[in-house]
Amino acid sequence: QEPPDDSEAAGVRSAEEVIRYEYHVLYSSSYQVPVLYFRACFLDGRPLTLDEIWGSVHASYQARLQEGPWDTITQQEHPILGQPFFVLHPCRTNEFISAVLRGSQGQHRQTNYITLWLSTVGPVVGLNLPLSYAKLAPEQSTDADLL
Amino acid sequence: MTDDKDVLRDVWFGRIPTCFTLYQDEITEREAEPYYLLLPRISYLTLVTDKVKKHFQKVMRQEEVSEIWFEYEGTPLKWHYPIGLLFDLHASNTALPWSITVHFKNFPEKDLLHCHSKDVIEAHFMACIKEADALKHKSQVINEMQKKDHKQLWMGLQNDKFEQFWAINRKLMEYPPEENGFRYIPFRIYQ
Repeated sequence: QEPPDDSEAAGVRSAEEVIRYEYHVLYSSSYQVPVLYFRACFLDGRPLTLDEIWGSVHASYQARLQEGPWDTITQQEHPILGQPFFVLHPCRTNEFISAVLRGSQGQHRQTNYITLWLSTVGPVVGLNLPLSYAKLAPEQSTDADLL
Repeated sequence: MTDDKDVLRDVWFGRIPTCFTLYQDEITEREAEPYYLLLPRISYLTLVTDKVKKHFQKVMRQEEVSEIWFEYEGTPLKWHYPIGLLFDLHASNTALPWSITVHFKNFPEKDLLHCHSKDVIEAHFMACIKEADALKHKSQVINEMQKKDHKQLWMGLQNDKFEQFWAINRKLMEYPPEENGFRYIPFRIYQ
């Protein structure tokens, strides 16, 4: 008996398994850090529930999520669009970002804050930044090394 | 803060007389009577309407009931806004009681946050408190509190207990003597 063709098997379930994500990067004036907002729907337009979103968090982050799901990802109103979005809470952003920034400054390396931040938090909620982003040339500034 | 106690109590105990009516297209087994309730201005719709839900569920079939949501003159009401704010935004110029329509079907996904349990309301409320303290005290006061203090703040709101709430909230409203005030004063403007 031949094993089922992968694409065929996927095709039977694809209408319910394919999820369309929409990501927005906003800035929180209160916490002074970027914040990741996102929405997710199945192909038929049905939005994912909070439980489904929590369930879809990558396995590596599930333990951290379970420690405090209500502090990590919740549904909130988009501050500009006024519509429901899921949000990755910014409270802890400063902690890990400053640790990495200290490290790169110590090596006099240029850093793009947004690339650094998004490549760290994005994968938690399904947004994987292509490695090509790491090669983006930051603005050249002779003063940067002196900071 | 003690000088302001009268003002604090007036704000806490502010109420809006409200008439809840079931949406006409909801399927019922018998006529649904409207339900009257005094709503606390400082609380949230989904936190204070358990009795409203029970009242209308009594005349409906089990299978017709899913997540409750509220609407005023065609506009879905955002439960995550304080009740007083909703009233001021939508109905302040109309005669009392405030007439709200109750729905159990066709939840407006594009307009309203879901509220499947009290945990959702607690998470939202505490997130607001934390963001405010980030502005006032760089989050120092809220982060120094123990989990039980956070719980007491929430329970005070949930159970309408002024003293219980303010026993904790007064710490969030203090500033260290060496400072002249909060780092920033948090407020939100809605239109």
